[in-house]
Amino acid sequence: MSAAADTGKARRAGLGSRLRTVPLLMPYLYIAAFAITILALQPALIASKDVLDGRLSLIVPLALAAYGQTFVIVTRGIDLSLGGLMSLCSALLCTHLNFAGPLVFVDIAAILALGALVGFINGALIGYLRLEPFLVTLATWTILSGLAFAVLPIEGGAPAPSLIAGLSGDLLGIPKSGLVILLLFAAWIWLRRTTFFTDLMATGSDEHRAWLTGVFVRRRKIQAYVWSSTFAAAASIWLTAQTASGSPRIGDEYILASIVAVVLGGTSIFGGLGSAASSVAGAIAFMLIPMVVYALDLESFWSICIQGVVLVLAVVANAIVQTIGARRQS
Amino acid sequence: MSAFVELARRNMSVLIAWGIVLVLFAAGVAVSHNFAAPSYLRTLLITASFIGFVGFGQTLCILTGGIDLSMPSVLAGSAVLTAYLAGGTTEGFVHTIPVIISLALVIGVINGIAIAYANVPPIIMTLGMNGALQGLLLVYTNGGVAAQPPAALNAFVSGSFFGVSLVLLTWLLVAAAATLMLGWTTFGRRLYAVGTNPIAAALAGINVRRVVVIPYIVSALSAALTGWLVLGFLGQAFVNMGDEYLFSSAIAVAIGGASILGGRGNYIGTVAGAIVLALVAAILPMFSLGTAALKVSYGLILLATVIIGRQQAART
Repeated sequence: MSAAADTGKARRAGLGSRLRTVPLLMPYLYIAAFAITILALQPALIASKDVLDGRLSLIVPLALAAYGQTFVIVTRGIDLSLGGLMSLCSALLCTHLNFAGPLVFVDIAAILALGALVGFINGALIGYLRLEPFLVTLATWTILSGLAFAVLPIEGGAPAPSLIAGLSGDLLGIPKSGLVILLLFAAWIWLRRTTFFTDLMATGSDEHRAWLTGVFVRRRKIQAYVWSSTFAAAASIWLTAQTASGSPRIGDEYILASIVAVVLGGTSIFGGLGSAASSVAGAIAFMLIPMVVYALDLESFWSICIQGVVLVLAVVANAIVQTIGARRQS
Repeated sequence: MSAFVELARRNMSVLIAWGIVLVLFAAGVAVSHNFAAPSYLRTLLITASFIGFVGFGQTLCILTGGIDLSMPSVLAGSAVLTAYLAGGTTEGFVHTIPVIISLALVIGVINGIAIAYANVPPIIMTLGMNGALQGLLLVYTNGGVAAQPPAALNAFVSGSFFGVSLVLLTWLLVAAAATLMLGWTTFGRRLYAVGTNPIAAALAGINVRRVVVIPYIVSALSAALTGWLVLGFLGQAFVNMGDEYLFSSAIAVAIGGASILGGRGNYIGTVAGAIVLALVAAILPMFSLGTAALKVSYGLILLATVIIGRQQAART
């Protein structure tokens, strides 16, 4: 083959591999599209600083949950248990774990520890006993949900006032919710280059080959689930502070929501390629959908329907882009 | 004799599931004599049958390595549409039947085609479909409850034929048909082949995509049917009425010994699983344990069956 043909082929191969990361940029496209629609039809929904703070506060729990879910999905797994975990944490924060004053840090530490423990159990069952992630997390979801009902049978209770106060308002002039989101993006810049995350991607991409190249697959899987549940616990702390009351079923809607956010973010549902930052963007895009529905003057119930449709369309879109990319590389 | 031993060995998980049924039943009778009363058993088995009917569709999907998470909304949709459109009369009900069946077919076909031809993972596709349908139902019902089931459904659910509940007779027929289809027809064999190894199945000349579509159509239809039965049983319809059957159907199939990876299991196991779940739900209240304990029990049972199933699979 001539040199010209070689460079041509190499250039197309480069473009192909770059095309495979295009899905990770799509959430920003969705955000732009949705934001433009909202600003055009009902700008009051996101135009002022106070309103923006309120919107961001609602997005933070999903952003945290999606951040954690990314680690798991990248390893070709799935975490359904965050639904039950968030419900249980919300229940605990509003009943037994609502110590006031500076002791609120005890509450927070205990909840995060619970998240880590649940994640460890999930990870051990999936990584060491090699059970299917779907079934294991389905089981732990049910168990945790049952425990949530045991702790708080009906909606009610109240979290520590210092928790509510501590997680709302501004810090140095910037809404705290905005800071959390910026923190998540900043953390990603460091996280994407860690051995931890590249190992996770390797595990999801080809587990056996990853193991052959020295990746501690079982350990990484446990870590993925531990981080996923810890982030979900953090999400429930923020959520409880926002709603200022507890509910034994508050976490259930976050299962579909976190998966949609991750998919919208462009992370492949088959594992191997992913970005936690894109999942945060996906969460923002996801939470914009009800606002678009409102701006279009449709009943709010349409949001749920559209979110389901968006999930399927986003997966198909990602699959198409990735197939094109793979074909261009070969 | 050795043929029986071989049969027993290959269906060990199904036998274990039925063993658990007997143990739980004995426990129930030990706690309260009323447990064995025919009317009590009849109600218990009817509630088990609801899990069993949706479990049929779920079994087929799981045998091909997939799952149908859209079933709750199809069930609720069938019940809600019947309650709203039929106007409480038998004639009205007869007119809604083709509507609901066509809708179920459409949903099943969409699920199946997306999963088989567009390579959308079953969990994602059916989860998205469930969300979409749930949203549509919320728009349709405005979140309310409909309470006008056709009298015919009430009559069917509480009716008997020579003393045996009509619902249970239907379940028996479905179980017989399912076992025959899975064990004795070409389609059944193809189903198992595709679930075990799709690539090998394709190389053997099986149209894998077509085989994968069918379980989702069956699942949607069985969910619609169960929606009618639950409507007749409860006397009302609301958007979330199908949610409890999602866990139950998946756990029932798992208890019955089917592997979530596909290729192994049969409907008789799912039937045992459904009865186990109904028995647990009946026994717990006898110890004053409520929803919380029920959920924790279901979760622990699922975990136990998955762990035991793994040991079984590792041994074969």
